[in-house]
Amino acid sequence: MSQRVAVSFKINGKEVTLLALPEQSLLRLLRENGYVEVKCGCEEGDCGTCTVLLDGLSVKSCVTPACACEGHEVWTATGLSLQERIGQLLRNNFAKYGASQCGFCTPGMVVTGMNYLMNGGTADRHAIRAAISGNLCRCTGYQKIIDAIYYTAKELQEEAAG
Amino acid sequence: MGYQFITAGSLTHALELLEQHGQAARIVCGGTDVMVRLHLKRLPECVFINIRELEELRYIREEDGWIRIGAGTALGTLEHSTLLLDKAPALFQAAQVFADPNVRHSATVGGNICNASPSADSAPSLLAFDAQVVIARKDGQRVLPIRDFFTGVGRTALRPGEMAVEIRFRPNPNSAFVKVGLRSAMAISVVNIAASADLGQGGVMKDVRIAVGAVAPTPIRADHAEGCLRGKRPDKAAIREAMDAIQMDIKPITDVRASEEYRRIVTENMLRRVVRKACGICENEEGADQ
Repeated sequence: MSQRVAVSFKINGKEVTLLALPEQSLLRLLRENGYVEVKCGCEEGDCGTCTVLLDGLSVKSCVTPACACEGHEVWTATGLSLQERIGQLLRNNFAKYGASQCGFCTPGMVVTGMNYLMNGGTADRHAIRAAISGNLCRCTGYQKIIDAIYYTAKELQEEAAG
Repeated sequence: MGYQFITAGSLTHALELLEQHGQAARIVCGGTDVMVRLHLKRLPECVFINIRELEELRYIREEDGWIRIGAGTALGTLEHSTLLLDKAPALFQAAQVFADPNVRHSATVGGNICNASPSADSAPSLLAFDAQVVIARKDGQRVLPIRDFFTGVGRTALRPGEMAVEIRFRPNPNSAFVKVGLRSAMAISVVNIAASADLGQGGVMKDVRIAVGAVAPTPIRADHAEGCLRGKRPDKAAIREAMDAIQMDIKPITDVRASEEYRRIVTENMLRRVVRKACGICENEEGADQ
């Protein structure tokens, strides 16, 4: 049997030390420790619902080794939409534009959307489609998800323009 | 015993660990292939040597007429490199359609070639550039042409104790990459193809290198097709001849993604597109068919 090892990293702004198996994915480690907003879909890197921000970039936590996160910084959809201002805007727009049907893809869509917005993404539907191309919504509610990201980008652009 | 996970603090440390653990060692960087194999229970117990912290393996630079890419460089870095856009568009284009944007944040070019999937999306471009793989071990290094690096499905020329640390090649702006997959993101290629042409007077291809993936146990160079194009202009007749000849280069199989017959037809058509794209005849893939 593999031995668990302590992995210390920052999650949603808070330092934690969790016990991980050497072969464990970040997804499994997070879910074991109550971060169940990180959804487990395909577990093969295909569907994107487990997406988290790692050092400011969106990655799929099911194909990220948990132990590789030692000393790094992870954000989940919950942390981003409660603690980050852009996250709050995006969360409100997900609600306003009905960007969630069954809700299973939502945490991943929110994180990928945040990656897009935080890295200078603009109100450009084509670019938003490309950005979320690795996140599947089996309700096929893409249009409203794109709307939510699009209008958040628009609000941010208008704010910046004064 | 179980699995073990060790994070290397430097390249020297990583090479020492590799030597120490020999056959049991398995390098992990982005994790996007390794974690899937673990999930599918296709990875026996091993010692993971994590090289994700090694900044010294993350670079794209031009030096002495070579483009050098550190093995730990993420595909997401490649797709934003203006150096590659200008001087090695085949690799730039491959990075743009590799997996999906989120996987590209993790997956590395070294991981892609060392995983040695027949459909690896970075492989055809690197083969078309005649790239070299710099392989390090604790007490030295060697350089291998990428053509000799792939030895079978999931197999490479790497020996125990060795790791790929750099991929380098001569830049060529007259190069291109085309992929056909079943969806526009996260698709394993049905066929992928790259071309790199040395253009001379009047648009004649003094030399041309074509490489195809997912049509043989390893990504391959299309020698017969290259022979039909060398010394000619990329006109309809020459390309038609190469399209017939490439059938002798490929040995596709039928699998869950496509039949052998479909792969043969697709390879021909993609050859036409990629050669025209590399020669700058038509940037637009759709228009290239005419």
